[in-house]
Amino acid sequence: MFTQLRLETLKLVRSKSFYLSFAALAAFVLLMLWGFYSYAQQKTNGLATEQFKYTYESKSYFNGLTFALYSVMFSFSLLIPIFVAMTAGSQIAGERQAGTLRMICVRPVSRVSLLLSKFLVVAFYTYLLVSFFIGLNLLVGLLFVGWGNLDLYPGPLNLVDAPGQILRDEALWRFFYASFSGTWALLVVAAIAMLFSVLFENPVTAVASTLALYLMLYIVGRIEFFAALRPFFFTTDVDFWREVLKPEVPWPNVWHYAGTCGAYIFGLLLTAVVIFDRKDITN
Amino acid sequence: MWLKLLLVAFFLMSLLGAFVLAPKPQLRVNNNTVDARRPDSRRLRLLTWNIGNGDLESETRAHTEDLPAVARVIKDNDPDAVALQELTGEDQLRLLLAHLSNRYRGYVCSPGSADRTDAVLVKDNSGDTARTNRGRRRVDHDGDVRFSNVPAGDRFAAAVTFRLKTDLPQIVLVSAHADAFSAARRRAFAEVVVDWARVQPRNALVFIAGDFNLEVNTRNKNDLFTDDAKHDSESYAYLLKYFRDLGRDAGETSINDRRIDYVFGPETASQSRAEVLRGAAVGRMDHLPLLVEVEL
Repeated sequence: MFTQLRLETLKLVRSKSFYLSFAALAAFVLLMLWGFYSYAQQKTNGLATEQFKYTYESKSYFNGLTFALYSVMFSFSLLIPIFVAMTAGSQIAGERQAGTLRMICVRPVSRVSLLLSKFLVVAFYTYLLVSFFIGLNLLVGLLFVGWGNLDLYPGPLNLVDAPGQILRDEALWRFFYASFSGTWALLVVAAIAMLFSVLFENPVTAVASTLALYLMLYIVGRIEFFAALRPFFFTTDVDFWREVLKPEVPWPNVWHYAGTCGAYIFGLLLTAVVIFDRKDITN
Repeated sequence: MWLKLLLVAFFLMSLLGAFVLAPKPQLRVNNNTVDARRPDSRRLRLLTWNIGNGDLESETRAHTEDLPAVARVIKDNDPDAVALQELTGEDQLRLLLAHLSNRYRGYVCSPGSADRTDAVLVKDNSGDTARTNRGRRRVDHDGDVRFSNVPAGDRFAAAVTFRLKTDLPQIVLVSAHADAFSAARRRAFAEVVVDWARVQPRNALVFIAGDFNLEVNTRNKNDLFTDDAKHDSESYAYLLKYFRDLGRDAGETSINDRRIDYVFGPETASQSRAEVLRGAAVGRMDHLPLLVEVEL
């Protein structure tokens, strides 16, 4: 199993898509920095109060933590899942397309441990990606926007129901927690992609199917027509990752949704394992 | 094989954990926080209700035929003062007061540029001993009731100043209705109303009640930043800078599960009850009344 893990890790690290995902996220952070910086300047240069007397967007509100929060929130649901699906979806189907799957499977290693070691590597990659993204946002925020407490207001991010504040050091811990809750949430997408990777011959089909399913439920879950169906979508459950960024973390909620995501992850993996174990690999 | 069993075990553990740790439904009504032995006369009961109708109707303002039902809800809940929105004008107010057997005095604000108006009602029990004998709460304002227009841009809100009892502080209730279509106009409206409330006499307890048309709760799943969300966030933050959202735990007040009707009260107000009166709406009404009770 350890040899298998080492081999899969090497394969991942040597692939171009691995570096592409980090580069794309770094580019997103730079874009966010430009947007945030110019917005903050516009809102704090004295003209902002021309139309309205009051605004909470002061110089202390715009700081590195607020920047990191906005950047992470905006990208988490729509950008990072693409890279996770890309990596996970190509695990089995990619080997099949390259013609190496049959050769791997004739080695004295069980198909179950092969699939699980691939998934573990995807999980490691997901954590690396999420923690890199959070860390980079915090670093860029610290260097270019400055430090302060994290002020939260109801509305734009729909994170809180009442104004609240997380002190700087506590906020850093919250981002650390978010790297784990975020990874766990994304592993649901990874597990779906793994299953599709087993089911389909082509990695493009596996990745596209995963993203189609994810985006379809994500969009539908945000349309009021489907409010009654919303609790049954996995995209609703994966949203739990942001709960750790609330002033008071609703831990019972976090554990409940983490459990639900766990059921998705292990249920999908089990299905993938059972199918893969019985699958006739002809090429 | 053991790997498969391990996966099954993890799957079952996660499933079990999700069920066991399922969050309990939140208690919507908060009516047990104040000592029941406190005299009832020190409690202020306020009701706000947008009695207009859903957009599909040709007449979206209050329907005259709905007024008996509105009066019944007011009578049944016996609030000390009421904030109503979307009346057509004074005629409807007079009719409503008649349905209330003239137990209340009322006032509609100038419509300004709007085609609908807000109203405030306050209990009128001066000298009516028969009613108090039937157990109804009374407002001993000794005729010291003052109605006024609150200018807010090109429209108005209605306000009433009264006392629950002569030894209790003066109460100001504003009935407000913010723009339904423009978040920027809502923000400007909220600022003006709050600023008006802030210049009221220091010892007066000011309550702002009404349909603010802004929804800022986490039920919305839009993660992206929009100007409208930002304006509503600023409006709400400004209101909370000086007031408490007394109906926060009462739940949604409008169709499509929206909480857009509010009662904002002083920070010091000790809240004893906040309840959305479900089932009160009749006809095509798209809002529910919000009842709030505070200890003075």
